[in-house]
Amino acid sequence: MKVSLPVAMGAALLLTGSAVTGLRGQAPMTFIVESPTMTTGRFMPRDYSPDGRNLSPPLTWSGLPAGTRQLAVISQDYGAGRPPPWVHWIIYNIPGDAGGLPEGIPFDPDHPMPPEIAGAVQGNNGWGLPAYRGPAPPLGSVHHYHFAVFALDEELDLPPGLDRRELLLAIEGHVIGQGDMVPLYERQPMNQFPR
Amino acid sequence: MTDSNGRRPAISRRDLLRTAGAAGAAALVPGAVAAATEVTPATASPEVAGQGPVGSALPAETAPFVARALTNLTAREAEILSAMVDRLIPSDEMGPGALDAGVLRYIDRALSEAESDAADAYRAGLAALDTYSRYTRGGPFIDLSTVDQDSVLIDVQIGAATGAGVGFVGGSGSFFNMVKSHTWQGMFGDPEYGGNVNFAGWDLLDYPGVRLGVSPQDQRDLEAGQLEPVRRSAYDYGMFE
Repeated sequence: MKVSLPVAMGAALLLTGSAVTGLRGQAPMTFIVESPTMTTGRFMPRDYSPDGRNLSPPLTWSGLPAGTRQLAVISQDYGAGRPPPWVHWIIYNIPGDAGGLPEGIPFDPDHPMPPEIAGAVQGNNGWGLPAYRGPAPPLGSVHHYHFAVFALDEELDLPPGLDRRELLLAIEGHVIGQGDMVPLYERQPMNQFPR
Repeated sequence: MTDSNGRRPAISRRDLLRTAGAAGAAALVPGAVAAATEVTPATASPEVAGQGPVGSALPAETAPFVARALTNLTAREAEILSAMVDRLIPSDEMGPGALDAGVLRYIDRALSEAESDAADAYRAGLAALDTYSRYTRGGPFIDLSTVDQDSVLIDVQIGAATGAGVGFVGGSGSFFNMVKSHTWQGMFGDPEYGGNVNFAGWDLLDYPGVRLGVSPQDQRDLEAGQLEPVRRSAYDYGMFE
């Protein structure tokens, strides 16, 4: 199933806004979020899903607002969850000078983070796991996966294991910038994969 | 606590104790597994025997337990299940893990007895686990790194390993929960049922043991952390005969 880029982008802008409705104060400025392996509106590689190695994808960002001290990332699917969104990944306490996230962040909370994001911790996703777990939509349906990045004005030193609601509450009033990208995913029957 | 790859298991002993400790070992004792069935002492296939004492924290007298033949699982199924339970409760500095505690033998025996209805689910689930590993991580489950094994097991646990052609019946999460439950039983249940070899599970939990009575002095010793644990099967008391 093909999804036109304008439609996907429109959905992205609409839905990203709802991700931060809990935040108060001045509207945060936007910045660019990209990935060396994913593109907004296009299907992400299988290795970022349980159809592959289920690695967390790499992200990069640029144009952060001045005064960014820390970053947080939430990956979520507004087409799933009761109520939506279904959260696939939460990572925060990311140093403000980090240019992004490398691929394959450890899912073991006791394994050290890559040095460029030392101090970062992961929150609990929709399965209650402090780790990335990728898209697994029902066969035949295309879902949009929002990777929302928040620039914060303070080093918050938040504890690991926060869920989405707790994180949004914790960063409320500290978000000075926001960006996101929205790749897609559709599962294929595994018997169609090469072994 | 790390493995040979320098990685910490996804489901650590500490996590296990958080889950199992509150319920207590006694609650994990299966009530219906018959105690009378004899397991023929014999040398297992090389694949099965290989799950035993290599690098084991167990004393030498444990070896006969792990070397006995299995009666339900094929050698290939035993290899896959061994790798799985070894990730659920690995051996480490705190003591023997599920393999050394005889969990494989416990499950194999239970599939002839109280859990015989689960035999087909094991057969299908272990094959599906291996198929899923090949499709998604490029190799059979037993050959994956411990990190990839843990990643596969997380996907199985959360029900994400359900793509068409893999073969989990009723969802991968059901299979995971069944194996986890039986692993806990084999680790912490009464040794009479074939697991908990050398009381490894009870030692891990600091379980005081099966007692027919507790004196005031026992209670004081328990509270002071000085109570000598009893390491006898409940069946050794004769009251269950």
